[in-house]
Amino acid sequence: MAIAEAPALAVRRAPVAVPARETLGRRITRHWADYLYVLPALLVMLVVIGYPLVYTVWLSFHATPPRTGEWVFNGTQNYQDILSGPRFWRITMNTIYWTVGSTLFAFILGFGAALALHNPFRGRGVVRALLLIPWVVSAVAAAYVWRWILHSDYGLVSGMLRSWGVIDRPLVLLDSKSYVMPTLIAVNVWKEFPFVMVMLTAGLQTVPEGLLRAARIDGASTWDQFWHVTVPHLKGVILITTLLLFVGNLNSFTLVWLMTGGGPANASQLWITEIYNIAFRSLQYGMASAFSVILFIIMLALGYFYVKALTMNAPRREG
Amino acid sequence: MAGSRRGLNFNVLGLARWLFLAFLLAFTALPMVWMFSTSIKTEFAAIQQPPVLFPAEPTFGQYTTLLSPANPTGQQFLGYLKNSVWVSTATTVLGVLIAVPAAYAFSRFSFPGREPLFFSVLVRNMFPVVVFLIPLFILMKFFGLIDTHLSLILTYLTFGLPLSIWLLKGFYDNIPPELERAARIDGATRFQAFWKIILPLSIPGLVATAIYAFIQGWNEYVYARTFINSQNLMTMPVGLEKFFTEYASNWPGLMAASFIMSVPVVVLFLVLQRHFVRALTEGAVKH
Repeated sequence: MAIAEAPALAVRRAPVAVPARETLGRRITRHWADYLYVLPALLVMLVVIGYPLVYTVWLSFHATPPRTGEWVFNGTQNYQDILSGPRFWRITMNTIYWTVGSTLFAFILGFGAALALHNPFRGRGVVRALLLIPWVVSAVAAAYVWRWILHSDYGLVSGMLRSWGVIDRPLVLLDSKSYVMPTLIAVNVWKEFPFVMVMLTAGLQTVPEGLLRAARIDGASTWDQFWHVTVPHLKGVILITTLLLFVGNLNSFTLVWLMTGGGPANASQLWITEIYNIAFRSLQYGMASAFSVILFIIMLALGYFYVKALTMNAPRREG
Repeated sequence: MAGSRRGLNFNVLGLARWLFLAFLLAFTALPMVWMFSTSIKTEFAAIQQPPVLFPAEPTFGQYTTLLSPANPTGQQFLGYLKNSVWVSTATTVLGVLIAVPAAYAFSRFSFPGREPLFFSVLVRNMFPVVVFLIPLFILMKFFGLIDTHLSLILTYLTFGLPLSIWLLKGFYDNIPPELERAARIDGATRFQAFWKIILPLSIPGLVATAIYAFIQGWNEYVYARTFINSQNLMTMPVGLEKFFTEYASNWPGLMAASFIMSVPVVVLFLVLQRHFVRALTEGAVKH
């Protein structure tokens, strides 16, 4: 569920002005009871997020041979090994391909669905609900049903194309070095376009009808209305949605892992699956941690844009 | 002239819209339909070429096998199901209990550090799950929690909390503070005002939060795979993977298991999606 990545929004309703003379310490003591409400949440987050984060960075500077179990500081060796590894650029290209491709097509399809469902018609609610299904279905079940559909010998796709005479040999998709990535991206788009649909459906509801009517009266075509009124109005939502999708895709593991495991011959190996391999197949925690830190830095950069996009979007929300 | 051009324009767009929707529906539904169709075929019928949608002799044998405790496969499967229900429910209940006060505080109180704290909760969503997998694995091992459901419940809590807090905060923001003020004037304590006035009003938000947390727990795979080793503690997603490796060629069985796994969350979501989507969009987009 891509929605996992959804939160947003700067804190509105600025705190009631506090007399300037009161010191921070006094303010904290005056509000001590307030912290009790957030304490459980913060504790859980701290233990399960704060600590692991620090630990990962620490671990990334250590050699962690699984045999001896003795962890030795080795400076930036892990980082050097990763960046100069034979597969690094290959999987980097795969990761970019996967992330950009999935984001782009999921966005187009989801935005299209939101637009197509914007004007009411009989049964619209049902259609909308049905389109949301892939988003809720577990990625594990999705991975297996698609593997079955795309099975080269007995799969639905291959079988139908053969019986219609489009192809005369079994269609090999997931085991083909050249088709594996586009196929995986298609499945991923199936899984996450509903998220875009939900976000933009909501966004479309905020476009003032009066503005569109005015544009129509001024003779604007459907396209002009869309491009010059709707899209500018949705800029904030579009930005947040694409960013969340992008991060979600950069992090997504299950579909690829269960459909190809990074194969054939690393043709669909991504950073995430590689990190998992290094950590839990080769048991090189230090190396995997260093790789995670690299990924984390990229996330942080994206997170910076995320927060910027949110704050840029904030003033309009007030209206 | 202009009139007819507009008419044509409308029709072309209208047609394109219906074709697009038809395509989307087919694309969305096909895997689910095929999942079910395969699950009621015999193993032999499933690999017949060309594939057919409606098997000549449908059988629910796979379902009866999976759901009867009398045979080992069914016993195993029901065990996965039970574990998933337990882990997801525990996550949901704990998540709501923790998220409600936090969201309320973030919405109403003005303690120092409120905004940075709120942001730090949200930032969780920027982190890749795999980044936390290694340290959490080591941490859980240190505390002897590997191979326990507690390790999963704790981890899932943090997945769900940020969105839950944020969703609920949106709800509380929309409830006028005058309501509590009136209650306070009538002599209620701050907690009573919250408990008696605000909580009942935020039920839709609670429902949305709970569905979200439940589905998250139900579907999670990576941590479940890494933290749990004993077969009798595995949750559905990992159990499904185990099934796949054990009975690789039994596609009807695998599809039946996938179907059983998908039905609860899909039904739950379809029944309650209005709440959920509205809660999400009100927080995310409107405000």
